[in-house]
Amino acid sequence: MDDLYLIISTLIFLAGFILAVVSLRSGRQGAVRLNLWLAIAGLILQSLFLKERGELHGRCPITNGAEVLVFICWSVVILYLALGKAFRLSLLGVFSMPLVFAFQVIAIISLSMNDPGPRPPATLDPWLELHAAMSLLAYGAFGLAGIAGIMYLVQDRQLKSHEPGQLFYSLPPIRYLTDAIQRLLIIGTAMLTIGIVAAFFMEKAPDLVHLLASGAVWLVYTILLAVNFGRHLSPKPLSVASIVAFGFALVTLSAL
Amino acid sequence: MSIFCLGVNHKTAPVEIRERLAFAEKAIPQHLEEIRDLGTVREAVVLSTCNRVEIYGAAEEPESALDQLIDYLIDHFSVEPGEVEFYRKASEEAAHHLFEVASGLDSMVLGETEIFGQIKKAYATAQTSGATSRRMNKLFQQSFTVGKLVRSSTKIQQGSTSVGSAAVDLAEKIFGRLDGCRVMIIGAGEMSRTTAQSLQSRGASSIIVSNRSYDKAVELAEELSGRAVHFDDWSNCLDQVDIVISSTAAPHTVVHKEMVEKVISSRRGHSLFLIDIAVPRDIEDDVNDLDNVYLYNIDQLTRIAAAGVERRKEQIEICRGVIGKFLEEKGIEALVDGPPKPRRSPDFPSSDSSSSQESSTGDPLPDS
Repeated sequence: MDDLYLIISTLIFLAGFILAVVSLRSGRQGAVRLNLWLAIAGLILQSLFLKERGELHGRCPITNGAEVLVFICWSVVILYLALGKAFRLSLLGVFSMPLVFAFQVIAIISLSMNDPGPRPPATLDPWLELHAAMSLLAYGAFGLAGIAGIMYLVQDRQLKSHEPGQLFYSLPPIRYLTDAIQRLLIIGTAMLTIGIVAAFFMEKAPDLVHLLASGAVWLVYTILLAVNFGRHLSPKPLSVASIVAFGFALVTLSAL
Repeated sequence: MSIFCLGVNHKTAPVEIRERLAFAEKAIPQHLEEIRDLGTVREAVVLSTCNRVEIYGAAEEPESALDQLIDYLIDHFSVEPGEVEFYRKASEEAAHHLFEVASGLDSMVLGETEIFGQIKKAYATAQTSGATSRRMNKLFQQSFTVGKLVRSSTKIQQGSTSVGSAAVDLAEKIFGRLDGCRVMIIGAGEMSRTTAQSLQSRGASSIIVSNRSYDKAVELAEELSGRAVHFDDWSNCLDQVDIVISSTAAPHTVVHKEMVEKVISSRRGHSLFLIDIAVPRDIEDDVNDLDNVYLYNIDQLTRIAAAGVERRKEQIEICRGVIGKFLEEKGIEALVDGPPKPRRSPDFPSSDSSSSQESSTGDPLPDS
């Protein structure tokens, strides 16, 4: 049943993305609203998948690569739904959908090839659960920052080219995108900090590779924020950096 | 009983005629009373704007009512018989016309929104004067629904239609809301003034004006509630503004890449939007290569405005399709006498279904 939830949710995100592309091309606003409902439906199904997997393992459902990917997708969608309106970025969800779709397809393939099955913990360590959950929520925020960075670069290119296309009218102002990138980087770094601090309280000490990888990601984002606030990084390098940093975070994630 | 429309607009009559037929706002209730006293017109709404004078009404015999109304206009306004060619529309054609007007399809600037407010006001005046009943209430409430539907479901409002609006739209795509945006004008020409006023109308503030003739700068600064600076000093203000509008008569460029480059680092990542409406150009072209600086010249703005007009024109048939579908779905049986047509289940926004439900009682609906 959990696989079915994941498959349907993935198809919903695909449908949402296709609908968004069609609506952006036609300029019809109603489809963007429908897209929001699709994101909510997809989130519910993601949540049901994670709930079933959580019950299967008796712990936070991040015991294998596929579950980790779905958890990151869940974080991306929930953060978009929670913050998209506040950041005046309704299109953030539209741009997130290809990422969510791609990650979930990988998760489906991975689970169909090799589902490791239940992995109940010897003892339930709340610090481990907090560490894992906060770290992956941070990845969700970093993912959204990267997506906002892509949106910035697209809009900047439209403005510089002097020939704005259909996307120009649909994309948000570049100032809003810059603000969103900064806020998402702060939120993500704060969450990752909590996740790393929680790791030090775990019953079983984390292995060195895991610790180094998490520390490297934390360092990259902390340096990025420090440079941004210290030297007032221009929005374009900030956008590029947020995309590259998320790529780096994904690479470290695969190493874990 | 059927609805009708009689009128002239910017396409059918020159301004010399329209200004003679224009109804003084305060006199409209009196005119509405006189129109209803003609005997044939049961309900009436007068829509009088700078681009159109139209009377919408309901009558047992629309053709006689239209003849009587023309005589009334000839008697009460300074027009001669045969001098004006009024358009006369009845039944569904009249409803379709009002829906097009409410959607901005009949406006001089295609898709503009001001007409929507003007129709609301005309309807409110007629309603307050007791000149409307079931048919006019239904017709106008439907026109508000259609106006909103057309604007929300098509691209009729999208894009700029003038150099000024193109500049404002671009500024909003860079800064979002323009509240608090600071503007500098270099060269106090007419085009600068209108562009600055457009930006001001969207919230831009702190306007700095610089001109070779300082007196002219002071004059424009006073008009825009800004401050004037001497022409030698404008470059010192470059780090204090977000938008620069340049239109000097200089035969060479006055804003150089090095000048902008120097201030950009002190702007703490804030964008700079440069609008060059001078010919010959005032701002070096390669300023646009600087990160976070956006330069548009008069040709680029004109191209955007022309593309915007074309894009809106392409939307006309789509908008008409929306209106046609609305009329097909809703029918106009409530507006004219006759057997009711079977209704298909509507696929329009829910606000509209409440409209048809409530308006059947003749009660007015909220406009927004």
